[in-house]
Amino acid sequence: MTTPALNVKNLTVRIDTEGRRLTLVDNISFSINAGSATGLVGESGCGKTMTAMAILGLLPESGVSVRCDGIEVNGKDISRLNTAQRRSVLGRDISMIFQQPATALDPVFTIGQQIAGVVRRHIGGSKQHIRQTMLAALDSVGFSQTEDIAAAYPHQLSGGMRQLAMIAMATVCKPAVIIADEPTTALDSSTRTLILQQLKSLQTLQQTAMLFISHDLNVVRQVCGEVMVMYCGRLVESTDCQNLFSHARHPYSAGLLSCIPQISTTRPAPVTSIPGQVPAATELPPGCHFSPRCNRTEAQCRISVPKPHDEDGRGAACFNPL
Amino acid sequence: MNMSGQTNQPPLLEVRDLSLSFNQQEQLAVDRVSLSITQGSTLGLVGASGAGKSSIARAILQLVKPDSGDILFKGKEIHRMNPQELKMCRQRIQLVFQEPSASLSPRRTVEQTLLEPLQHFAIGDSNFRYEKALHVLDTVGLDQSAMQRYPHQFSSGQQQRIAIARALITDPELLIADEAVASLDVSIQAQILQLIQVLQKDFGFTFLFISHDLAVIRQIADDVAVMYQGQLLEHSSADRFFSGPAHPYSKTLLSFAQGKTPTHRPGDKRYLERSRRKAINSSACLFAGFCPEKMQVCEQVEPAIHAIQNKNQDALEPHCVKCHLYSEVNTYEF
Repeated sequence: MTTPALNVKNLTVRIDTEGRRLTLVDNISFSINAGSATGLVGESGCGKTMTAMAILGLLPESGVSVRCDGIEVNGKDISRLNTAQRRSVLGRDISMIFQQPATALDPVFTIGQQIAGVVRRHIGGSKQHIRQTMLAALDSVGFSQTEDIAAAYPHQLSGGMRQLAMIAMATVCKPAVIIADEPTTALDSSTRTLILQQLKSLQTLQQTAMLFISHDLNVVRQVCGEVMVMYCGRLVESTDCQNLFSHARHPYSAGLLSCIPQISTTRPAPVTSIPGQVPAATELPPGCHFSPRCNRTEAQCRISVPKPHDEDGRGAACFNPL
Repeated sequence: MNMSGQTNQPPLLEVRDLSLSFNQQEQLAVDRVSLSITQGSTLGLVGASGAGKSSIARAILQLVKPDSGDILFKGKEIHRMNPQELKMCRQRIQLVFQEPSASLSPRRTVEQTLLEPLQHFAIGDSNFRYEKALHVLDTVGLDQSAMQRYPHQFSSGQQQRIAIARALITDPELLIADEAVASLDVSIQAQILQLIQVLQKDFGFTFLFISHDLAVIRQIADDVAVMYQGQLLEHSSADRFFSGPAHPYSKTLLSFAQGKTPTHRPGDKRYLERSRRKAINSSACLFAGFCPEKMQVCEQVEPAIHAIQNKNQDALEPHCVKCHLYSEVNTYEF
């Protein structure tokens, strides 16, 4: 069996606040193979971004405890690196595309300088070579006037172009793993489709493993083969993406799907929504966290935590699946 | 529920040849736009960011002064109103913004926020106002305990409910929602869409719903108007629009919204790197540079707005397209 490009084992993130210890990511495990893309879906505050930050080791050390049995990139554990070691891994072996390119890019440097900085740090070589690599990266995301883009400051580009530049920066070192955190949420739908296609083709071409974080299942469907649904810090369903759309087994996944407005020639029935709201991390109900909002709750749902259906962590974590 | 076919009823809101520019820029933010909304119906205004959708909303409320054109609310020209009339008019037109956390004052409790419009328009006495606030809060699904709390103590979905309550408290006849669900999670978005649809039935307001998301528009709109770089390119009923829009830009927009790249359209990269038109009077169709069905005339003459007729559909439904493809034919098939 091949080594997965990203292998996360039993990751738990807790924070200490106001004298209490809150669990934001609760013992999650998953792996992604080279060349495949896995979506991580859930509502705001369910722990998606926390998961990404914990994998990259970007969470602050004070007040946050990250526990895991290993976060492996191509078999190499990156969870116990010191700061210097981590800096040589981030951007080269594993990189991240942030939600807001306007804030993730530095406003006082040109796009070219910022991408060249990554190349200089991780690949090196002559000035000439660094520049060529930088321009090639801009070309690979679909820019035609690469010289102009390289000379531009972030504010001179539109939102979509900034996000493409961000993708160029994240992929310039051909990392084994990319984490994309809501990369298209801030964009309108036509730009979104173009960016997703560019990201997808680059990921396939470079055979990168991608963890794609989004609250929008429609977007995940366009990009990912696998999908994990997260609720209150736990993975509630992990399955094949098409499978989820045709037959979601966890009531929460089914609820999320029914929230998506569809485009049809006749006027669609009103969208349905999941009753209630996500509980605060300070008020998580015992047992299955979804049980108070679920219409299939049984007695045991309120007491014990359901395990994933399959041994390898796939399937729905539910006592009474659909 | 589609009311666009009823031509005997005057529209609640009519915008005629509205133009608007900012800071003496040559580029018009809104370029000779005409549209109308029938009483009780919902118009979905669609377009990419920067198309001028919000500028129209702001012009309707006279928050910005248009360069030219008329805005008629119940047959009366808004920009000719005296301050007293304008104040009354604003009571009948209310707005819900995109970002609830930014549109609610962080220093005011929900009670203060909800009472302010009633105080401003001098509606009822203090008992009446308080009861009214409680009632509206209840209709948007929040309970009495919310009254004394501050916006930051609510989730974004609840904040948007408060913003909607504030808009509805003066019993407006026209509600304008500017990307009101764009910043919300899909699950919260579904709740708010549901709420809006129920409220429209109960309150009977006319609705101008601005969004870049066609799937959301499909849920909520009776009619659709498509904007591109300040101009209105197509205006039709929602059913007709979603069964096959006429304008090439609308087709592009619809296939993008369905997650498909239009295969017939060359130059995706150029589409992203597009720059806005330089001069006002460049006499070409604005979309000509990206249009898959471009003809020679498109780069020379700006198309007029044509009323067209679909062979398969009701002759009463108005359908307007600003495109040379329909300049000679007044029927088309899809």
